[in-house]
Amino acid sequence: MPDGTGYIQPFVDQAINGSTIIPGKNVEWLQDLRKMGAGVYTERGLPSRRDEYWRYTNLNLLDKNEYKLQNTGRLIDVPSLPHRAVTELASYRIVFVNGYLRPDLCVLDDMPDGVLISGLGDMIAAAPERLEPYLGKNINFVDMPMAALNTAFIHDGLFLFVDSSVELDKPVHLLSIVVPGNTPIMVQPRNLVVLGAESKVTLIESHIGNPGVGYFNNIVSEHTLGDGAQLNHYTFQEESTSAVHIAGSALKLGASSSYDGFLLQSGGLVARVETRALLNGIDADCRLDGIYLGTNNQLLDTTTYVEHVVPNCRSRQVYKGVLDKSSRGVFQGKIHVCEGAQKTDGHQLSRALLLSNRAEIDAKPELEIYADDVKCSHGASVGELDSESLFYLMSRGITFDEARRILIEAFVSEALSEIRLDQVAEDFSAHIRNWLQANINFSELA
Amino acid sequence: MALLEIRNLHASVHEKPILNGVDLTIDAGEVHAIMGPNGSGKSTLSYILSGREGYEITEGEIIYNGSNLLEMVADERAREGIFLAFQYPVEIPGVAGLTFLKTAANAVRVHRGMDELDAMDFLKFVRGKASALDISDSMLKRAVNEGFSGGEKKRMEILQMAVLEPYLAILDETDSGLDIDALKVVSDGVNSFRNSQRSILLITHYQRLLDYIVPDRVHVLANGRIAQSGDKNLALELEKNGYSKFMKAVE
Repeated sequence: MPDGTGYIQPFVDQAINGSTIIPGKNVEWLQDLRKMGAGVYTERGLPSRRDEYWRYTNLNLLDKNEYKLQNTGRLIDVPSLPHRAVTELASYRIVFVNGYLRPDLCVLDDMPDGVLISGLGDMIAAAPERLEPYLGKNINFVDMPMAALNTAFIHDGLFLFVDSSVELDKPVHLLSIVVPGNTPIMVQPRNLVVLGAESKVTLIESHIGNPGVGYFNNIVSEHTLGDGAQLNHYTFQEESTSAVHIAGSALKLGASSSYDGFLLQSGGLVARVETRALLNGIDADCRLDGIYLGTNNQLLDTTTYVEHVVPNCRSRQVYKGVLDKSSRGVFQGKIHVCEGAQKTDGHQLSRALLLSNRAEIDAKPELEIYADDVKCSHGASVGELDSESLFYLMSRGITFDEARRILIEAFVSEALSEIRLDQVAEDFSAHIRNWLQANINFSELA
Repeated sequence: MALLEIRNLHASVHEKPILNGVDLTIDAGEVHAIMGPNGSGKSTLSYILSGREGYEITEGEIIYNGSNLLEMVADERAREGIFLAFQYPVEIPGVAGLTFLKTAANAVRVHRGMDELDAMDFLKFVRGKASALDISDSMLKRAVNEGFSGGEKKRMEILQMAVLEPYLAILDETDSGLDIDALKVVSDGVNSFRNSQRSILLITHYQRLLDYIVPDRVHVLANGRIAQSGDKNLALELEKNGYSKFMKAVE
């Protein structure tokens, strides 16, 4: 058995064999899928520096604490929903606590026809055959070892099915709350989103956690977009700053479909969000943008892999990072253009701003191109705040702190301007301003 | 009464002496011009007055409004009423010009015990000042100086001055790069700003600007010190004879 994964293994074994936490033991294909995930984990263990895509992000925190799987999420008291994670937008809200659906906190009234939204656990119990064509189908465990671990535990998460040509009138807001107990816990949510042809949905995700004992949130999401479907997908990652947040997301885009993704990461002690997009139908359009804001000893990792399989697809990525104190950022972005994917238009930009000389960024932009008629570009830069601009602002009476905040906001605004929905962009903007107010001040500079 | 007193100011950059004993007194309401050849320390003096870092004051002092100016950081000086119109205004993409201006204006207003202006009132206030300087709404809405021509940047500097209402405005080669029409617009802006409470320090190479903004005093800065002072006629003499005699005099 690989090093240091000892305490998780019994949970994996139990998930497959005994545990009553895990629903649908009698569903054969689902058990096979879980066993496959369990098998890969048992064989390989946690990813390490030996794995190409885990070179910069070390999970040894997972060895230090024994994070235990538990099922108290249905019962735990959530005093009041944290305000800052709840967008101003009117939305259909589906809430999970410690990985379990909380019907008492959901607001899902008046859902239009053609939309099925529920907890994955309920679907496993009621109609597992609806899941079979999609669950686990977008994921390759070799590429996503943490998804293998999650797969062993499939039990609950967001389930969203939208029929062809349905346009949802309001966004769906997935709110994931972790309430840690007295000992470290692990949470393994599994989300499945399937959009029918020409349907149109906005999905907002907020990941938050109460401070206290660290926890381990290992999320896997699969999104499948039918031909002509449009998914706007905006994520706030604001876990507790003692948490480990690992999110793996696999997207499959049909012909002429369009995905607009934006990720704001400011939470977690170690956080990694990995998005793998398969552009599988011609004329598909994929945007993956984001901002990460790190301070203290946080490690924030954004990893993307965009695979152009067919001709005429567009992908665009703009990531901006702000790193203060001893925080560390990782950006790994790859555009892979397959042999037949002519006329691919792929663009990637990663820029990081270091606010302290202890902060660090590891950026690894990559292009891998096997077609000869493509337009692809990537750029990565690292810098600090421009002293001329700082002086200019201060010479107008603006304090040093305020001037820094203004310049940092300006720096990240390029990524924000990529967001399609203005209200969402404003929500992100407000979050960023709050973060700057809380974190960027002179008194702490020394 | 003296608004600004510079006494025996010596300053270096990277241990290279730039200013070698500048003495200059400006009373409230006066307009002074500093002229001089390239490299004589004119811009250094303007940066030191506005609080830019990177200059070492090796001797002397600066008293502004009765206080030791050198003890204040740049933003404090600005709130106390010192304004520098930059020779090369900085472009700051992503920072909305109006928001920047409002933040600055309110910082100064609060410091003076005035109420902050809200977005609507501020817009009205700015528009009034902007139209006199031929600055359109679309220019106001852009990012700070982004993509502006040299002349547009200079007009924006004067707008900022008009909005912030400083007591001491330092105009660092505000005339450079301006055609004659733009020079007139900018000069009108400066002249309408003049009153008995506000002092102006003009830094320029050319006498031309002083036809439009008539100074009370003219000083020649050469080799890091004031080599000669006089009234506006000194500028005319310099225009005719150049700076060579000052350069030689020091050597």
